[in-house]
Amino acid sequence: MLKMTDVSKIYRTDTVETHALREFSLTVDEGEFVSVTGPSGSGKTTFLNIAGLLEEMTSGTYELDGRDISKLNDRERSRVRNEKIGFIFQSFNLIPELNIFDNVDVPLRYRGLNAAERKRRIEESLDMVGLASRLKHQPAQLSGGQQQRVAIARALAGEPRFLLADEPTGNLDTHMADSVLDLLSEINSNGVTIIMVTHELTLADRAKRNIFVRDGQVTDAAPEFLRAANG
Amino acid sequence: MEFGPIWRALLRNKGGAILIALQIAVTMAIMVNSIAIMQERATNMQRPSGMDEANTLTFASISFAADADLRATYINDLEMLRNTPGVINAVGTNSFPLRGGGWSMGLQTEPGEDMGGVGAAIYFGDEHMIETFDVELIDGENFSPEQVVFLDPDNFRWEPYVIVTEALAKTLFPDEEGSVVGKTAYINQNDPVQIIGVIDQLQAPWQGWDDVEHALFSPVKRAEGFARYVVRTEPGMRDELLPQLEEMLASADKTRLIRGAQTFDEVREGAYLGDSAMIKILGFVITLLTIITGLGIVGLASFNVSRRTRQIGIRRALGATKPAIMRYFMLENFMISSVGVIVGGALAIGLNIFMVETFALTPMAWWVVPVAMIILWLVGQAAVAGPARRATRIAPSIATRSG
Amino acid sequence: MFRYYLKLGALSIRANPALSALMVAAIAIGIGACMTIFTIQHMMGSNPIPHKSAQLRHVQMDSWSDANPYNDGANPPIQLTYTDARNLLAAEQAVRQIATFKSGRIVEPEDPDELPYTVSGRATSKDFFAMFDVPFKYGSAWDAAADLSEEFVVVISEPLNERMFGGEDSTGRRITMNGDTFRIVGVLDTWSPVVKFYDLNNNPHEPVEDTFFPFSTAMANEYGNEGNTNCWKPPEGGDRAAFLNSECIWIQFWVEIPDQAAETQYMNYLDAYVEQQKELGRFPRPLDNRLPDVEEWMILNEVVDDDVSVLLGLAVLFLIVCLLNTIGLLLAKVMRRTKDISLRRALGASKASLFSQYIIEAGMIGVAGGLLGIGTTWLGLLGIRNLFNRFDFVEKLTHMDWSMTALAIVLAVVSALAAALYPTWRACQVTPASQLRIQ
Ligand SMILES: Nc1ncnc2c1ncn2[C@@H]1O[C@H](COP(=O)(O)OP(=O)(O)O)[C@@H](O)[C@H]1O
Ligand SMILES: [Mg+2]
Repeated sequence: MLKMTDVSKIYRTDTVETHALREFSLTVDEGEFVSVTGPSGSGKTTFLNIAGLLEEMTSGTYELDGRDISKLNDRERSRVRNEKIGFIFQSFNLIPELNIFDNVDVPLRYRGLNAAERKRRIEESLDMVGLASRLKHQPAQLSGGQQQRVAIARALAGEPRFLLADEPTGNLDTHMADSVLDLLSEINSNGVTIIMVTHELTLADRAKRNIFVRDGQVTDAAPEFLRAANG
Repeated sequence: MEFGPIWRALLRNKGGAILIALQIAVTMAIMVNSIAIMQERATNMQRPSGMDEANTLTFASISFAADADLRATYINDLEMLRNTPGVINAVGTNSFPLRGGGWSMGLQTEPGEDMGGVGAAIYFGDEHMIETFDVELIDGENFSPEQVVFLDPDNFRWEPYVIVTEALAKTLFPDEEGSVVGKTAYINQNDPVQIIGVIDQLQAPWQGWDDVEHALFSPVKRAEGFARYVVRTEPGMRDELLPQLEEMLASADKTRLIRGAQTFDEVREGAYLGDSAMIKILGFVITLLTIITGLGIVGLASFNVSRRTRQIGIRRALGATKPAIMRYFMLENFMISSVGVIVGGALAIGLNIFMVETFALTPMAWWVVPVAMIILWLVGQAAVAGPARRATRIAPSIATRSG
Repeated sequence: MFRYYLKLGALSIRANPALSALMVAAIAIGIGACMTIFTIQHMMGSNPIPHKSAQLRHVQMDSWSDANPYNDGANPPIQLTYTDARNLLAAEQAVRQIATFKSGRIVEPEDPDELPYTVSGRATSKDFFAMFDVPFKYGSAWDAAADLSEEFVVVISEPLNERMFGGEDSTGRRITMNGDTFRIVGVLDTWSPVVKFYDLNNNPHEPVEDTFFPFSTAMANEYGNEGNTNCWKPPEGGDRAAFLNSECIWIQFWVEIPDQAAETQYMNYLDAYVEQQKELGRFPRPLDNRLPDVEEWMILNEVVDDDVSVLLGLAVLFLIVCLLNTIGLLLAKVMRRTKDISLRRALGASKASLFSQYIIEAGMIGVAGGLLGIGTTWLGLLGIRNLFNRFDFVEKLTHMDWSMTALAIVLAVVSALAAALYPTWRACQVTPASQLRIQ
């Protein structure tokens, strides 16, 4: 279970203060598939970064699986990211120097699993995304959709409880986007909690619950606004 | 540990890694051979001359007047020197260890031409030699005053008694178990000389000579136009006495010049000037080289860190702790360095063999290669530590931010 | 276009000041190490009399022992016996010939209150000065008659003339050395060959002698030899006559051989001479006469110290390390700029223009490294001079002339360009599209 209460995030630069999140409160239950939509700059990514422990919040409380996150040090935060959370990024973020196998291997290494276990998980998760035959390929040799599926396999290999996706289809065409969404639904049906940021309502509709963010706050804003924004 | 993925990532980006490895390899070749040469020279410099160097001084007296009474000057000079308070003893001789010039002769155990001899440095002097040179008589006896004669420049002949160093005695009579005192050797092919004493150790005047431990005393006083005096003083008196003695002799007899006054420390410095300069130059070279290689690694590692900023952020997002990021760069550098030092070890040994053959150097000691390896490993790790620490400060949110 | 590339290069260098400084410093230090040692080696081994060195020959004859050949038979002895020197001198079979040895003197000033002092001296024949192109400030060499009648005539060096006579024309004046009063016939002009090639016996880099007097005079008055004496057989007797008659070698002997014909002729004469001596029971070894010229003579006598050769080898390796360093840094620079490069390519830059851009940037770094390298070389030479400050000759060896300065810059630029080749090639491999996709 993920529970944020009055979380705010302020970015300070020399000249400006940006309130990316203000009194942001949200609870996501075990097994949910939540989509987060909102205009560009509304704070979606900021929310996801805080939820995924990539950034620290300025104030508020955040509980993940009943644990108060704000008290964790860097090592413990890394560990939570590694064991409980899987990430899927808009720009895939595969490591260009590593082949597919080694890319999926990255989070498993940090968990300190033995070689046989890692191999089993890598092959299983690549199998699940339909890329079992591409182990030795370099990322550059794959299409965008394939790269994103590798990224999903990487997220899944760690058997996370939460899957956080930031515009996972933003760099893909509609057809590929659909297949990625199919994959996410399937994963969700296996019990993984998914939070997906997107600004495409057609995709957001496939989630079980929709949340709208505006000016760093969860709002009840009419979907029309978003539809208009997306033309 | 993550050797596998790091290695495969390195192979994908060989250029830079190979360059660092090569740089380390050549650095290692230079370092190993420099250390080997420095070590050889330092060992040479540590060899004892056999004299009481801290308390010994020397100068030469050059007589120029055609009618000078050279023997009287010689006898007078030594008497004055020996009677000066603070002087332990003094002697007139042709040369001394580390002087760089002197006289050597072949010695053989049978008389005759073409027998092949053993080279030995000759030190002429009287019965005060042993005390002045501070050598220990380990067998036999010193010259008696009656055995010592003045050299006759018009009719030189070898006096029939010698005192030899133990090393020379061993080379001349390798099979002799007991005493060599009383045995006869032949100098100048046919002239018999009897060994009456053996001293523990004294170097020949040429420190680079193969037979540097071969020296003998011949009981001859050389009162020629050129006399070289060696003076041994009480501890701590040397520096005070040097100008005093020089002045004393110069004013006692104006028909000659006192030249080349030196303490034995200065003699040693002069004898090993080339060696100590070589040690300094090479030490400077390897220090500079290590700094350059280190800075090169820092530069390249910094580049690598900034080139991989995004990747590091992703790793952090996927659960890498700061120490894990640090470890990644340290390990990567360790692997590159390892390739470097292994190739470098081979290069170094090859170069050493070449130098030993071309320049007659001593082959290097076994420990030089591993020591250089460890030094370069440490330099590499130290150099990469800074950039690696910077890498740990890259925020994980890079993964979601910069598109 | 060249100006545009210069500007791009300057921009790029300024964009990475620490890195560019590191590259320039690495090249400068590598160049400094190489050029310091190379300058010394160059000066040590440089031909002191280039226009004439091929005509000046040292005479070598194998007068040594049959049982223990000189230098294990690799080459004949490097000096002559007095017997042979006297015979060859008397035979006058070459255009010019001299026998010579070193013999220091003590000058007794006319003023009795002034202390006597030592000077270096050389016994030689009148041809010495003409053979070795010795410059005179005042007067000239002595004449043949002086050699023949063992006269007390002397040629003194410029520094000694300065010391004794305040630099005036002192020809005709007197000087008393070791009780013998000499008449000054000539004063040398500045003469300081880097290598004292005519006598490599002791230190090949010490200054030329202060006094020169006839060989015949020195022999008649029993002047001692200060150079090396080597014997394979003891003199038959303890007096000077026995020594002069012995097989001990201690005299340097030079002849002037203007051309091939003269060489053949002189070799024939030497062969005949040795055959004749063999009949007298001398020269037990096979016939082995040689006439090495100045350069060959310097190599045979190993004028260039082994340590210098070792250091030069290490210095070249040092430069290689510095270049590898530069290659690595340039490569890193290129790799970081792949986006920029592919953008330029997409905007129409050809491979050739990219190549020019990067090579010019490297050339700029090379020139900067070379200029700084002159400074580091100078520092290096200064350091060496300090290490050896006991020896005056090191001053001469650590002198950086124009050719060495130019060489330093050329070496730096060539090195930098060579170092730039691989990174530049890699830059040219970047395709226009590759970097504009993702990541
Ligand atoms: N590192 C940062 N420094 C300053 N401002 C930032 C930073 N990251 C995001 N912001 C600002 O925070 C606000 C929310 O950004 P973000 O969460 O990325 O929006 P979204 O993902 O909804 O487009 C924006 O105004 C953005 O400019
Ligand atoms: Mg966003």
